[in-house]
Amino acid sequence: MSVPLRRVVLVDDHDLFRAGVRAGLGKTVEVVGEAGSVADAVPLIKELDPDVVLLDVHLPDGGGQAVIVQVAPERPGVKFLALSVSDAAEDVIGVIRAGARGYVTKAISGAELTEAVHRTADGDAVFSPRLAGFVLDAFRSGDPVADPELDMLTAREREVLQLIARGYRYKEIASRLHLSPRTVESHVSAVLRKLQLSSRNELTRWAAERRLI
Amino acid sequence: MSVRSLGIQVALPRFERAERDRVVAGVCAGIAEALAVDATLVRLVFALLALASGAGIVAYVGAWALLPAPGAPPVTRKRRISGVVLLVWSAILTMRGLGLADSLVWPLALVAAGIVIAAGAHTFGLGDRRAQVVGLVLMVAGVVLFVDRNHGGGASTVLAPGAVAVALLLVVGPWAWRLTRERDAERAERVRTEERADLAARVHDSVLQTLTLIQKNPADARTLARRQERELRAWLYPDREPAAGGTLAGAVEAAAAEIEEVHGVRVEVVRTGDAPLDDRLQALVLAAREAMANAARHSGVDEVSVFLDVDADGNGVSLYVRDRGKGFDPEAVAADRRGLAESIRGRMERVGGIARIVSAPGEGTEVELEIGRRLDGARQGAEGSAPPAPERK
Repeated sequence: MSVPLRRVVLVDDHDLFRAGVRAGLGKTVEVVGEAGSVADAVPLIKELDPDVVLLDVHLPDGGGQAVIVQVAPERPGVKFLALSVSDAAEDVIGVIRAGARGYVTKAISGAELTEAVHRTADGDAVFSPRLAGFVLDAFRSGDPVADPELDMLTAREREVLQLIARGYRYKEIASRLHLSPRTVESHVSAVLRKLQLSSRNELTRWAAERRLI
Repeated sequence: MSVRSLGIQVALPRFERAERDRVVAGVCAGIAEALAVDATLVRLVFALLALASGAGIVAYVGAWALLPAPGAPPVTRKRRISGVVLLVWSAILTMRGLGLADSLVWPLALVAAGIVIAAGAHTFGLGDRRAQVVGLVLMVAGVVLFVDRNHGGGASTVLAPGAVAVALLLVVGPWAWRLTRERDAERAERVRTEERADLAARVHDSVLQTLTLIQKNPADARTLARRQERELRAWLYPDREPAAGGTLAGAVEAAAAEIEEVHGVRVEVVRTGDAPLDDRLQALVLAAREAMANAARHSGVDEVSVFLDVDADGNGVSLYVRDRGKGFDPEAVAADRRGLAESIRGRMERVGGIARIVSAPGEGTEVELEIGRRLDGARQGAEGSAPPAPERK
């Protein structure tokens, strides 16, 4: 299978970390630009129009959210993948709700990050075990829901998320649940959509906290 | 606020008696100079005022007391006080000379004196608070006098309290406002200082110590760095902090931290929900710890994933320990491997739980521990379609 070359812009305020990511990414990913702040990132991304932006959640002049909000309306083709050391749910959920296609922790290996970039470029969602944990927490039953379509996970989606939280990769999940990898992808994408659009209390609370900062 | 700015003006900083062009004491010329008008005009005003029961003369003496000689330091406190008193007196004389009734003039004078004293505490060398009190008393006296003189009987009992309240507000208001602001600023500053000290202490105790240790003993860098990372995370993201002693999630995270320390691997704990720790769950934690230790020892990889899933009601608990290392054939494991047989499976069974080990050579290992969860409904879907898990009782 021939893998297309993905053009990536790296947005992180730590030079050292950017260098590490650049070195770790495989040959199928080309870093075409780098920025260390929201002010630098926004025009750069608009100019380069990359496939994927690897975006730090925390930036000195705003956050990853600010970049997404300013770029997305003009460059709908650009996909964002959040990359952070943060363990705080509100940081992560905030960026995802702003439009990022997924979230991975900075401890991720180069190979996994490369795979995540391709998945993001293909329009799929990328869930790290930690994000899966957050989502399962946020969608726990208990709260009354306004819109069952958006505010609840199906049993299948829950299973998929639990396996992600357990450290399974998509392929492993597919074989374990006897699904095609495509079906697993579509479940994860459905969860991402719910994460972005649901009005569940936990999600709106997290998002609101993030905006206030 | 307006009262406060008045206090600054009372100090009359720029007025000086004049040296040249003086007729008596240089007061008129000095004022004319400061106001940039013709001295004759000022003299004319004083002369006209003198016609009003001698107010101009009194004012002149007052101004002389207040204004320093050219180049001399500001006048003494006594002179300032007598100057202000004379000016107030002259104002009273003027108003009476203009035909205003005593019932208006005296209260007005009292209120004015009160405001001047309250606002110009520094001019009179009074303490802030004492000036406020004196000013307040004078103003209240003025208001009461006014009400008393101008309204017979009944009206005064209605008006007086309101007038007193207004006077109180005038004097106490700005003072209380300033006091509150000062206290808030002070508190904010204190909080900031404490935070900075806390941060410095934290950085010193943790990060600096770790860096020192790493320099001394580079071989331990990985373990030390990981421990440091864990501590900093717990501090930075308190909601992910290992829950205090008595909860399941806290115990699992502590066990994971311990395994990281001992075996130098990375144990990622993801959790949803939490429950108070009891004997049953204690056994689960110990079994999980053993599973993590096994993964660290035998898998050949340096990352272990742990997922703790607690039901919303806190009854059912599942815990998964997974590595993607070399794996093994569970059927072929010697029966005397205490780790699996006793520490994990035996422990779980004694408290009514289940332990499952899913592994195959080359495919990593997953240990699943469950307590208090009915094996039906939604979970059946996942388990039923799973590849035949090597179950062993």
